[in-house]
Amino acid sequence: MIDFLQRLVDGVSLGAIYALIALGYTMVYGVLQLINFAHGDVFMLGAMMGWYASSVWTSESRNPSIAGALAVTLFSMLVCAAVGLLIERLAYRPLRGSPRLNALITAIGVSFFLEYGGQLLFGPNPRAFGVLPHRASSVVAGISIGYVDLVTILTSLVLMIVLQRIVYHSRIGTAMRAVSWNPSVAALMGVNIDLVISFTFGLGSLLAAVAGILYASKYPSVHPLMGLMPGLKAFVAAVLGGIGNVPGAMLGGLLLGLAEQLVSGYTSSSWRDAVAFGILILILLVKPSGLLGRGAAEKV
Amino acid sequence: MPFFGGSALKRTGKAVRSWLPFFIAIPFLVLIEQGIALNPALRLEYAFQNINHIGIAIILAVSLNLVNGLTGQFSIGHAGFMAVGGYVSAVMLMRGPPEDPYRIFFVMAMLTGATAAALAGWLVGKPSLRLRGDYLAIVTLGFGEIIRVIIENTPFFGGAIGLSPIPHRADFAWIWAVAIVTILVAKRLRDSTHGRAFLSVREDEVAAEAMGVDTTGYKVRAFVISSALAGIAGGLSGAFEGNLAPQSFTFVRSFEVVAMVVLGGMGSITGSTIAAAVLTLLPEYLRFLANLRMVIYSIALIVLMLVRPRGLFGTTEAWDWVRELWRKRIRKPGIEVPRAAPEVTEFLIDVDRATIRFGGLTAVSDFSLQVKPRELVALIGPNGAGKTTVFNLLTGVYPPTEGRILVAGRDTRGLAPHVIAHLGLARTFQNIRLFRELTAFDNIRVACHHLTRESMAAAIRQGQLAEVEEDWVAERADQLLAVMGLSNRRDSLAKNLPYGEQRRLEIARALATGPKALLLDEPAAGTNAKEKGELMTLIRAIRDRFGVAIVLIEHDMKLVMGVSERILVLDHGITIAKGLPREIQSNPKVIEAYLGEKYAREHAAQIAQAGRT
Repeated sequence: MIDFLQRLVDGVSLGAIYALIALGYTMVYGVLQLINFAHGDVFMLGAMMGWYASSVWTSESRNPSIAGALAVTLFSMLVCAAVGLLIERLAYRPLRGSPRLNALITAIGVSFFLEYGGQLLFGPNPRAFGVLPHRASSVVAGISIGYVDLVTILTSLVLMIVLQRIVYHSRIGTAMRAVSWNPSVAALMGVNIDLVISFTFGLGSLLAAVAGILYASKYPSVHPLMGLMPGLKAFVAAVLGGIGNVPGAMLGGLLLGLAEQLVSGYTSSSWRDAVAFGILILILLVKPSGLLGRGAAEKV
Repeated sequence: MPFFGGSALKRTGKAVRSWLPFFIAIPFLVLIEQGIALNPALRLEYAFQNINHIGIAIILAVSLNLVNGLTGQFSIGHAGFMAVGGYVSAVMLMRGPPEDPYRIFFVMAMLTGATAAALAGWLVGKPSLRLRGDYLAIVTLGFGEIIRVIIENTPFFGGAIGLSPIPHRADFAWIWAVAIVTILVAKRLRDSTHGRAFLSVREDEVAAEAMGVDTTGYKVRAFVISSALAGIAGGLSGAFEGNLAPQSFTFVRSFEVVAMVVLGGMGSITGSTIAAAVLTLLPEYLRFLANLRMVIYSIALIVLMLVRPRGLFGTTEAWDWVRELWRKRIRKPGIEVPRAAPEVTEFLIDVDRATIRFGGLTAVSDFSLQVKPRELVALIGPNGAGKTTVFNLLTGVYPPTEGRILVAGRDTRGLAPHVIAHLGLARTFQNIRLFRELTAFDNIRVACHHLTRESMAAAIRQGQLAEVEEDWVAERADQLLAVMGLSNRRDSLAKNLPYGEQRRLEIARALATGPKALLLDEPAAGTNAKEKGELMTLIRAIRDRFGVAIVLIEHDMKLVMGVSERILVLDHGITIAKGLPREIQSNPKVIEAYLGEKYAREHAAQIAQAGRT
């Protein structure tokens, strides 16, 4: 039982990270109907910038503190948001009218560019990462909760509440939702589509940066291809919850993290990738609109 | 016996001719291999290694083009099927006889791999091809990854290390022979009625289904053929390299193939072939740049998408240009279409109290309609009355919640739209749904699809029946174009026709399915008074000439009153009146529905008088 609860805690912590990345996928899909394959690499960039800021340009990682960690996270959030905006402006905006396949190819092209560009600058080898101070695990009712897990869960919780406020209770959030329903009508109602889309990319990239720092703290290493698998899985999480749906992405991320930890805990960890995609296929076959998604019938 | 002998001879000659490109290619391939590739003095091992990689890439790209380009589906898991074929053939080869001088066992291994991959394609495609666009992409990606994970965790397949050594059985001649066969298969399928069925699925699934094309069936077929070819590519790759590792079948590999298809131009076989060569060589030539090369590759890809979004070739083919130069088409003028004699005297359409609800909304309730052969019935009513929903019920787009619909005496419950089209019901759409990127001629030929009997194998072999049928379909299409006055638009893309001609082409397309009853959804929408007059004549002419019954949805009262023999009026899904045009004109309920209750009350006397005259 303790064993099961322990895995549950691990699952929630991993799921929270997936959820943060999934939010970026789902918001962009909501406004553009684009699977932003490069999003996983923005996540990687967040971790990498964290590494540069803590181990190369400063010596923060040798003597980590909470204030330092906050500063490092803030820095990589800014860089990622800037890169996210740049990607949208240069690669996706010119393609907005063209077939969706083209946009998808471009997204994958951008993803490759970030990965191999990262390899060029960073080198292909993993580097050790540590921005959070070392603290002992807290033990609650026999379950030990690692310090990193605690920070991950709390941070994600705060960010999701903030995001919920932005999407459902702010002017720009209303505009985002309007664009996701029907961009041309939203434009006629005076919504600045370009601004909304840029904002969406920026917001998603901010979250991805935080997720990158948290993930790199949990599995303390950074390398240029680290975004590939978490990126794909976060996408699975977004589809699981219903792509385009913000609470859906949170739920999907959580469920996926839990499923993965439980399966890899009870069988072999080499099957964990298959679990994610198995869930994806199952959900798409049974309920293609996702757990919380809205179904759409084509009008004839 | 001369008849028999002659036809057998002819048949043999035909069979030889159908494989001619192949027979011509084989000696060349063998010559090149023996004379150049295997000649140690020339030191061309590296060059031929690249050439063979190109051959494998061509098989992959051209086969994926069947799914992504021709059929318009979106698969990004091609590497998974390649892996299935590759591993199955490799396991067979490794356990097979040590010597295989005539390559019999090798061919068997390749075919087994192809079968396994086709089976995997069927298993994946059957449930997931009803998903559209991005979702299908993600499912195929997921399957691709799962196949890889399974291989990595199966010791029988060498686990994460892979299989080695696989006997070297495939070489230049084999790889390129398969590549040529792949191109030939793709080209011949594309030029056949099956190819048009694929294209119609890409252009507009709803319209394709309404024209009698089994869209799900064709998607699955494209997927299975494509997977089988990918499986062979995998088998050849293993037998050429001498090893297989799961790392070479990742998402990145699938993506490379997708990039080839998109770069070449979706649907263009020439494009896929050339792009396969370019994208295989590009990284090789960029090798001196070491780490920079993948960065440049990705930038090149993005830039290409930005400047040439339709790919290098668009949808055109090299042999189309050649053919244009070769001969000028001679076309026969329209020949008289034989009049169809009405053979059924019972009701063609018999709807008994059909009701459909969407959630809490009852769109159509208790709708009944009987249509006899050669009848002209109009369905009118204010916007939102449920008229188009009735058409959707009749053609099987929606199943009725309650009630029963018979078409040509058969209950249509549970039948797919394409089956109902086969029963003899054809329709046009309110918001024109032509196959926009196909020519007027091809739009009509797609609708002849279900009248043809040639099999896919026959189409690939270019058998006799296939050829006869192709001629027949072309003649039929030309006749219909002539009847509709569209002969001069034969080779224009549907999207480039003016509005009125698009409407006429849609009617011609519906007629091409050989219907017993034709459903026209607002054919006069957006036309001017003169065109409306012409349309009235045309509708009557169609009925007389083709002997079809016509059900018409229309708002223009002059047209409706002028052309129809019976009228049904719908309002809020309820049939409020039915009868002769004159009765309808003076029906107070109808006037109320159109002009409001107040008007009906105030002008009651006038209406009553109008009814008497």
